[in-house]
Formats: sequence, structure tokens, C-alpha cells
Amino acid sequence: MTTADETNGRRHGRRFNPDRDVAVWNGKYLPYDLVKEFLIALVVVTLLVVLLAVVFSSPDDHPVTVRSWSTAQPVDFAQTAITELDGSSAVANYGPPYNATNPGATQSIGPFSPERWFGVHHPIDTANDYVIAPLQTLPDRAALDASINAYTSASSSQQANWTTAYEKAVANATFAQGGLKVPSGAYGPVAPMISALTSMARSGALDGALLSSRQFYGTDYTKPLLFIADGTYLANLGQAQHLQGSQWGMMNETGNYPGQAWLWLYTLWYQVAPMKTSSNADLQVWAIMMLLTLILALVPFIPGLRSIPRWSRIYRLIWRQHYRDIS
Amino acid sequence: MQTLTAVMGHMVGGLINLTGPGHYIHWGFIQISAANLVVIGLMVVVFAAAILIPFRRPGGRD
Repeated sequence: MTTADETNGRRHGRRFNPDRDVAVWNGKYLPYDLVKEFLIALVVVTLLVVLLAVVFSSPDDHPVTVRSWSTAQPVDFAQTAITELDGSSAVANYGPPYNATNPGATQSIGPFSPERWFGVHHPIDTANDYVIAPLQTLPDRAALDASINAYTSASSSQQANWTTAYEKAVANATFAQGGLKVPSGAYGPVAPMISALTSMARSGALDGALLSSRQFYGTDYTKPLLFIADGTYLANLGQAQHLQGSQWGMMNETGNYPGQAWLWLYTLWYQVAPMKTSSNADLQVWAIMMLLTLILALVPFIPGLRSIPRWSRIYRLIWRQHYRDIS
Repeated sequence: MQTLTAVMGHMVGGLINLTGPGHYIHWGFIQISAANLVVIGLMVVVFAAAILIPFRRPGGRD
């Protein structure tokens, strides 16, 4: 049925290579209804989707908002808020794309550092964006306005004295009778500011104030999400649901629902050295996956690798009837 | 009517409730949820079936 003379390779004056050249088929052809197969597959998959949706439904966890966080753990909220005000939070020191306060924090592999190249394109000034500006939106609060003015007009060393003292004290704070109870100390205007911000957060007003877009259907939740992520509340919820990066969380879904199992290879690299403890882990894992993707795309051109299907002979298992017939 | 609503609500909510604490399998540094393991197992079964189930031959014979 097929001879070497009839191969594409021979026609081009090259020696026939089974991994590169295609032998001309001179045997019988049979009709095959691809549209019919597609429609059958579509119907089967649609029925399966509907059936599984009825039987299992889907995850429906309540969203974590600034309101739910500050209601559940007001002290954690206040502890986080003071780090936003004094610029010691993780977001305040993240570097690009949010701020340029810590250029050394950018991830890099040698000179390769896209984070640094793209720079600050979603600026976040944590003190102003998370504390001062939202408080300024509260109406008819003369005492609070005076506190904000006192804080913003104070010297940076005075501000640091107030925030440092408050940061130490708020660790022992309690929440009772609808208010934050912090041991007394020399916090200046910081105590009423954080107390007011906590009340604002518990009312839900801070969620709205942190949205970048004022449109009815705002979709940019970057600021509230980063604020929430600076606290311990969200991290603890994630830990309990096995969603942390160190728990192969990329693959997991809440509860007993199956998750994104196809991301196993991506999340695997975060579990092994050196990525496990590297400060450049995200970039390193991305680079590994890009390299593997490139290798996958180039399989037809890589000697040895492209021969695996022929060597493994799985095709003979699939087409076993055909090979039985011609033997 | 209330019964119908309750039945529909139950169906929409899922006949089998998968919320609640997840089940996970730990093996060395590998950690995988039981649900993901079941899905991967089903994918392996489908893959094996795709290879092993014979093609339908013209005329209906295998």
C-alpha cells in the first residue's frame, strides 16, 4: 500500500523519517460524519452539565468584604488599619505596581524583572487611600475632621510616635458595646481616626469608599481586596479551606467541590525548593511553565521527544483491529 | 405550592451538599483534595476507555 518512493520525504530528495514525513495512503477511504459526532458530544455534555448541576450545585460561599471582616474581627481590622496608616503593611511595602516605596521588593531572575519594567501603574498610598480619604467622606464629623487635620499637619516624626504607640496598644484592644476599646496612651488623633474607620467599616461604608470606580457596577476590587489581604482574617479563612499557596491551593475549591485539577503542575513548583522559600517564586514558576509550554509547542521538532508516540506504540493499541487485519 | 417551592429550592441548592469541611489526602509534600482525586480518577477511566473501546466498524460490526 505504501512504498518509500511514495513518501513526501523521498519526493523532496530526503531520506524518509517516520517522525517527520507522512507516508501516502493508498488504501480504502471510509466516510465519517464529523458533524454528527460533534452534535452527539454536545448533547451528551449538555445533559451531563445539567444533571451534575442539579445533583451537586456549585460552591456558594459568602464573599469576604471589609464589612464582614471588621464585623467578625474588629481588632484584627484595627491592627491592620494602623499599619496602613503608618506605612508598615505588606501592601505599603509591596513595590510595583502599587507603590515605589520598596524597589528591592520586585521579583527578578537576574536582569529579567517585568514587575520593575512596568513600574507603578496602579498607585496605592495606603495611609491616604485606606484611612484618611475614606474618613474625609464621612459627613458632619467636626471632631473627626479636626483629628484628621491634626494628623496630616503634624511632622512625620510626631505621626510616627502616635502610630507606633497605637500599634503596640491595639494588640491588646478589645471590642465591646459597639466600640473599639484600646488601653489609654499618647496616640494623639490616631485613636479617634482608627476608631471611626472601624465603625465606618462595620457599617459597610468603607467597602464603597474603597472602590476605584464610582459606577453602579464597579468591578475593580483591588483596593478593598489588598486591604483585606493585609489582615489575618482572610488568610485564616483560606488556610481552613486549603486555599493557601503552600497547600496546593491553586487546585482547590471550597468545601468538598472539585477544583482546578489541571493546575497541578503550576502549583507543584511552589511546593519544592528553591521556589518554596524564594522571594522570586512567582517569576520562577512562571519561567518554568513558559519553558515547558515552549517545549510542548516544539515537540514535533525535538528529536527523541517527538519519537515517543512511535516508540510507546499506543497508536497500535488504538488501531489494533487495523494492524490485526494487515498482519 | 410551598412543597413544590421547597422541592425546587432543594434541587437548585443541590441534591448532594458538598459544602462543609473538605477532605484531603497527604502523601509526603503532595496534598490533594478527595474531590480532585475522584475527578482525576474519572479522567483516567475516560482516557483508558477511549483507547480500549473498539471503533465501530462499517456495517455495525466491531
